[in-house]
Amino acid sequence: MAIACPMDLDTRKLHDEIQSIYARVAEDPSGDFHFHRGPDYAAEFLGYDRSALAGLPRQSTASFAGVANPHLMGPIGEGAVVIDIGCGAGMDLLLAAKSVGPRGRAIGVDMTEAMAEKARSSALMAGLRNVEVRIGDAMSLPLDDASADVVISNGVLNLTPDKSVAYGEAFRILKPGGRFLYADIVVGSELSESIRRNVDLWTG
Amino acid sequence: MEILSGIGFKDVEFRGRFDPFRTTTKESVARKFGVIGVNVYARKPN
Repeated sequence: MAIACPMDLDTRKLHDEIQSIYARVAEDPSGDFHFHRGPDYAAEFLGYDRSALAGLPRQSTASFAGVANPHLMGPIGEGAVVIDIGCGAGMDLLLAAKSVGPRGRAIGVDMTEAMAEKARSSALMAGLRNVEVRIGDAMSLPLDDASADVVISNGVLNLTPDKSVAYGEAFRILKPGGRFLYADIVVGSELSESIRRNVDLWTG
Repeated sequence: MEILSGIGFKDVEFRGRFDPFRTTTKESVARKFGVIGVNVYARKPN
Protein backbone atom coordinates (compact mmCIF):
# COMPACT_ATOMS: atom_id res chain seq x y z
CA MET A 1 0.00 0.00 0.00
CA ALA A 2 1.07 3.58 -0.52
CA ILE A 3 1.90 5.60 2.58
CA ALA A 4 -0.58 8.36 3.37
CA CYS A 5 0.76 11.57 4.83
CA PRO A 6 -0.77 12.77 8.12
CA MET A 7 -2.44 16.18 7.86
CA ASP A 8 -0.01 17.65 10.40
CA LEU A 9 3.22 16.28 8.95
CA ASP A 10 5.73 19.10 8.60
CA THR A 11 6.01 18.98 4.81
CA ARG A 12 8.50 21.87 4.72
CA LYS A 13 10.79 19.93 7.04
CA LEU A 14 10.29 16.81 4.91
CA HIS A 15 11.17 18.78 1.75
CA ASP A 16 14.30 20.26 3.36
CA GLU A 17 15.42 16.91 4.77
CA ILE A 18 15.07 15.23 1.37
CA GLN A 19 17.07 18.01 -0.28
CA SER A 20 19.78 17.74 2.36
CA ILE A 21 20.14 13.97 2.11
CA TYR A 22 20.24 13.84 -1.67
CA ALA A 23 22.61 16.80 -1.91
CA ARG A 24 24.97 14.76 0.27
CA VAL A 25 24.47 11.72 -1.97
CA ALA A 26 25.34 13.87 -4.99
CA GLU A 27 28.46 15.25 -3.36
CA ASP A 28 29.74 12.04 -1.82
CA PRO A 29 27.85 8.88 -2.80
CA SER A 30 30.38 6.77 -0.92
CA GLY A 31 29.31 8.40 2.36
CA ASP A 32 27.40 6.77 5.19
CA PHE A 33 23.75 6.29 4.20
CA HIS A 34 21.09 3.78 5.19
CA PHE A 35 20.27 2.90 1.57
CA HIS A 36 22.34 1.36 -1.20
CA ARG A 37 23.82 3.39 -4.04
CA GLY A 38 25.72 2.79 -7.21
CA PRO A 39 25.90 0.59 -10.30
CA ASP A 40 26.77 -2.67 -8.52
CA TYR A 41 23.68 -2.33 -6.35
CA ALA A 42 21.59 -1.49 -9.44
CA ALA A 43 22.79 -4.60 -11.26
CA GLU A 44 22.80 -7.07 -8.36
CA PHE A 45 19.61 -6.00 -6.57
CA LEU A 46 17.49 -4.47 -9.30
CA GLY A 47 18.42 -6.25 -12.51
CA TYR A 48 20.00 -3.38 -14.44
CA ASP A 49 22.16 -4.33 -17.41
CA ARG A 50 25.79 -4.05 -16.29
CA SER A 51 27.07 -3.34 -19.77
CA ALA A 52 24.55 -0.51 -20.22
CA LEU A 53 25.61 1.01 -16.91
CA ALA A 54 29.27 0.68 -17.83
CA GLY A 55 28.56 2.88 -20.83
CA LEU A 56 27.43 5.78 -18.65
CA PRO A 57 29.61 8.32 -16.82
CA ARG A 58 30.57 6.99 -13.42
CA GLN A 59 29.29 10.14 -11.70
CA SER A 60 25.76 9.42 -12.92
CA THR A 61 25.72 5.82 -11.72
CA ALA A 62 27.58 6.28 -8.41
CA SER A 63 24.79 8.39 -6.91
CA PHE A 64 21.96 6.12 -8.10
CA ALA A 65 19.66 5.29 -5.19
CA GLY A 66 16.54 3.84 -6.84
CA VAL A 67 14.39 1.07 -5.41
CA ALA A 68 13.35 -0.93 -8.50
CA ASN A 69 13.86 -0.83 -12.26
CA PRO A 70 11.33 0.88 -14.56
CA HIS A 71 13.32 -0.13 -17.65
CA LEU A 72 12.24 -3.74 -17.13
CA MET A 73 8.66 -2.78 -18.06
CA GLY A 74 9.42 -2.66 -21.77
CA PRO A 75 11.26 -0.34 -24.15
CA ILE A 76 10.43 3.34 -23.99
CA GLY A 77 10.44 3.59 -27.77
CA GLU A 78 12.53 5.45 -30.30
CA GLY A 79 11.52 9.06 -30.84
CA ALA A 80 9.51 9.28 -27.62
CA VAL A 81 9.47 12.17 -25.17
CA VAL A 82 10.25 10.72 -21.74
CA ILE A 83 10.15 12.52 -18.41
CA ASP A 84 12.08 11.30 -15.37
CA ILE A 85 10.55 12.66 -12.16
CA GLY A 86 13.32 13.03 -9.58
CA CYS A 87 16.08 12.16 -12.01
CA GLY A 88 18.86 12.49 -9.46
CA ALA A 89 22.32 12.23 -10.99
CA GLY A 90 20.75 10.94 -14.19
CA MET A 91 21.32 7.20 -14.45
CA ASP A 92 17.75 6.32 -15.44
CA LEU A 93 17.49 9.54 -17.45
CA LEU A 94 20.55 8.72 -19.55
CA LEU A 95 19.41 5.13 -20.12
CA ALA A 96 16.08 6.57 -21.29
CA ALA A 97 17.84 9.08 -23.54
CA LYS A 98 19.72 6.26 -25.24
CA SER A 99 16.49 4.31 -25.61
CA VAL A 100 14.59 7.14 -27.34
CA GLY A 101 17.52 8.02 -29.59
CA PRO A 102 18.37 11.34 -31.23
CA ARG A 103 14.82 11.90 -32.48
CA GLY A 104 13.46 11.61 -28.96
CA ARG A 105 13.89 13.74 -25.85
CA ALA A 106 14.65 12.85 -22.25
CA ILE A 107 13.74 15.52 -19.71
CA GLY A 108 14.72 15.09 -16.09
CA VAL A 109 13.19 16.98 -13.19
CA ASP A 110 14.89 17.19 -9.80
CA MET A 111 14.52 19.54 -6.85
CA THR A 112 18.16 19.19 -5.79
CA GLU A 113 20.46 21.52 -7.73
CA ALA A 114 23.54 19.39 -7.05
CA MET A 115 21.84 16.32 -8.53
CA ALA A 116 20.48 18.25 -11.51
CA GLU A 117 23.93 19.62 -12.29
CA LYS A 118 25.40 16.13 -12.14
CA ALA A 119 22.74 14.87 -14.53
CA ARG A 120 23.43 17.73 -16.96
CA SER A 121 27.18 17.24 -16.93
CA SER A 122 26.76 13.46 -17.24
CA ALA A 123 24.65 13.93 -20.36
CA LEU A 124 27.37 16.13 -21.85
CA MET A 125 30.06 13.58 -20.95
CA ALA A 126 27.97 10.83 -22.57
CA GLY A 127 27.46 12.92 -25.72
CA LEU A 128 23.69 12.83 -25.32
CA ARG A 129 22.24 16.00 -26.84
CA ASN A 130 18.63 14.96 -26.35
CA VAL A 131 18.76 15.45 -22.56
CA GLU A 132 17.42 18.42 -20.61
CA VAL A 133 17.27 18.77 -16.83
CA ARG A 134 14.90 21.15 -15.05
CA ILE A 135 14.68 22.11 -11.41
CA GLY A 136 11.27 21.21 -10.08
CA ASP A 137 9.14 19.25 -7.71
CA ALA A 138 7.01 16.16 -8.30
CA MET A 139 4.08 18.04 -6.78
CA SER A 140 4.25 20.77 -9.44
CA LEU A 141 6.10 19.62 -12.54
CA PRO A 142 7.59 22.31 -14.81
CA LEU A 143 6.09 20.72 -17.91
CA ASP A 144 3.15 21.36 -20.24
CA ASP A 145 -0.03 19.32 -20.27
CA ALA A 146 0.03 16.24 -22.53
CA SER A 147 3.68 16.71 -23.45
CA ALA A 148 5.11 13.27 -22.62
CA ASP A 149 4.85 9.84 -24.17
CA VAL A 150 6.34 8.13 -21.12
CA VAL A 151 6.89 9.21 -17.51
CA ILE A 152 9.37 7.30 -15.39
CA SER A 153 10.44 7.69 -11.78
CA ASN A 154 12.48 5.64 -9.34
CA GLY A 155 12.28 5.82 -5.56
CA VAL A 156 10.99 9.38 -5.51
CA LEU A 157 7.20 9.44 -5.32
CA ASN A 158 7.21 7.72 -1.93
CA LEU A 159 8.91 10.88 -0.64
CA THR A 160 6.08 13.18 -1.67
CA PRO A 161 3.63 14.21 1.04
CA ASP A 162 0.54 13.79 -1.16
CA LYS A 163 0.62 10.90 -3.62
CA SER A 164 -2.60 11.92 -5.34
CA VAL A 165 -1.09 15.29 -6.30
CA ALA A 166 2.13 13.69 -7.57
CA TYR A 167 0.30 11.01 -9.55
CA GLY A 168 -2.06 13.68 -10.85
CA GLU A 169 0.90 15.64 -12.16
CA ALA A 170 2.16 12.56 -14.02
CA PHE A 171 -1.33 12.12 -15.49
CA ARG A 172 -1.47 15.78 -16.52
CA ILE A 173 1.80 15.78 -18.46
CA LEU A 174 1.18 12.46 -20.25
CA LYS A 175 -0.30 12.43 -23.72
CA PRO A 176 -3.42 10.29 -24.18
CA GLY A 177 -2.22 6.70 -24.36
CA GLY A 178 1.03 7.62 -22.58
CA ARG A 179 2.60 5.25 -20.09
CA PHE A 180 3.57 5.83 -16.47
CA LEU A 181 6.40 3.41 -15.58
CA TYR A 182 7.55 4.03 -12.06
CA ALA A 183 9.45 2.33 -9.30
CA ASP A 184 8.61 2.92 -5.69
CA ILE A 185 8.42 1.32 -2.29
CA VAL A 186 5.24 -0.06 -0.78
CA VAL A 187 4.53 -1.25 2.74
CA GLY A 188 2.75 -4.49 3.53
CA SER A 189 1.20 -3.41 6.82
CA GLU A 190 -0.66 -0.43 8.24
CA LEU A 191 1.65 2.14 9.83
CA SER A 192 0.83 3.89 13.07
CA GLU A 193 0.28 7.67 13.20
CA SER A 194 3.53 8.17 15.14
CA ILE A 195 5.52 6.40 12.43
CA ARG A 196 3.81 8.34 9.63
CA ARG A 197 4.66 11.62 11.39
CA ASN A 198 8.35 10.69 11.63
CA VAL A 199 10.22 12.62 8.94
CA ASP A 200 13.33 10.46 9.45
CA LEU A 201 11.37 7.38 8.45
CA TRP A 202 9.80 9.15 5.47
CA THR A 203 13.22 10.02 4.16
CA GLY A 204 14.50 6.51 4.94
CA MET B 1 -3.02 1.51 -6.86
CA GLU B 2 -6.47 2.85 -5.93
CA ILE B 3 -5.15 6.40 -6.12
CA LEU B 4 -3.85 5.82 -9.65
CA SER B 5 -7.15 4.32 -10.80
CA GLY B 6 -9.07 7.13 -9.13
CA ILE B 7 -7.08 9.73 -11.07
CA GLY B 8 -7.99 8.03 -14.32
CA PHE B 9 -5.07 5.71 -15.10
CA LYS B 10 -5.93 2.37 -16.71
CA ASP B 11 -4.26 -1.05 -16.68
CA VAL B 12 -2.64 -0.32 -13.30
CA GLU B 13 -0.53 -3.24 -12.12
CA PHE B 14 2.62 -4.27 -10.29
CA ARG B 15 5.26 -5.56 -12.68
CA GLY B 16 8.10 -6.68 -10.47
CA ARG B 17 9.14 -6.84 -6.81
CA PHE B 18 12.57 -6.06 -5.39
CA ASP B 19 14.35 -6.07 -2.04
CA PRO B 20 16.32 -2.78 -2.02
CA PHE B 21 16.85 -2.72 1.74
CA ARG B 22 18.58 -6.11 1.97
CA THR B 23 21.90 -5.77 3.87
CA THR B 24 21.26 -2.10 4.73
CA THR B 25 21.02 -0.78 8.28
CA LYS B 26 17.25 -0.42 7.72
CA GLU B 27 16.73 -4.05 6.69
CA SER B 28 15.07 -5.06 9.96
CA VAL B 29 12.66 -2.09 9.78
CA ALA B 30 11.83 -2.95 6.18
CA ARG B 31 11.18 -6.58 7.13
CA LYS B 32 9.04 -5.57 10.11
CA PHE B 33 6.69 -3.49 7.97
CA GLY B 34 6.94 -5.51 4.76
CA VAL B 35 8.59 -2.72 2.78
CA ILE B 36 9.63 -3.73 -0.74
CA GLY B 37 10.47 -2.04 -4.02
CA VAL B 38 8.01 -2.45 -6.90
CA ASN B 39 7.65 -1.58 -10.54
CA VAL B 40 4.26 -0.08 -11.29
CA TYR B 41 2.70 0.22 -14.75
CA ALA B 42 -0.19 2.55 -15.59
CA ARG B 43 -1.54 4.00 -18.82
CA LYS B 44 -3.38 7.24 -19.53
CA PRO B 45 -6.45 6.37 -21.61
CA ASN B 46 -6.74 7.52 -25.22
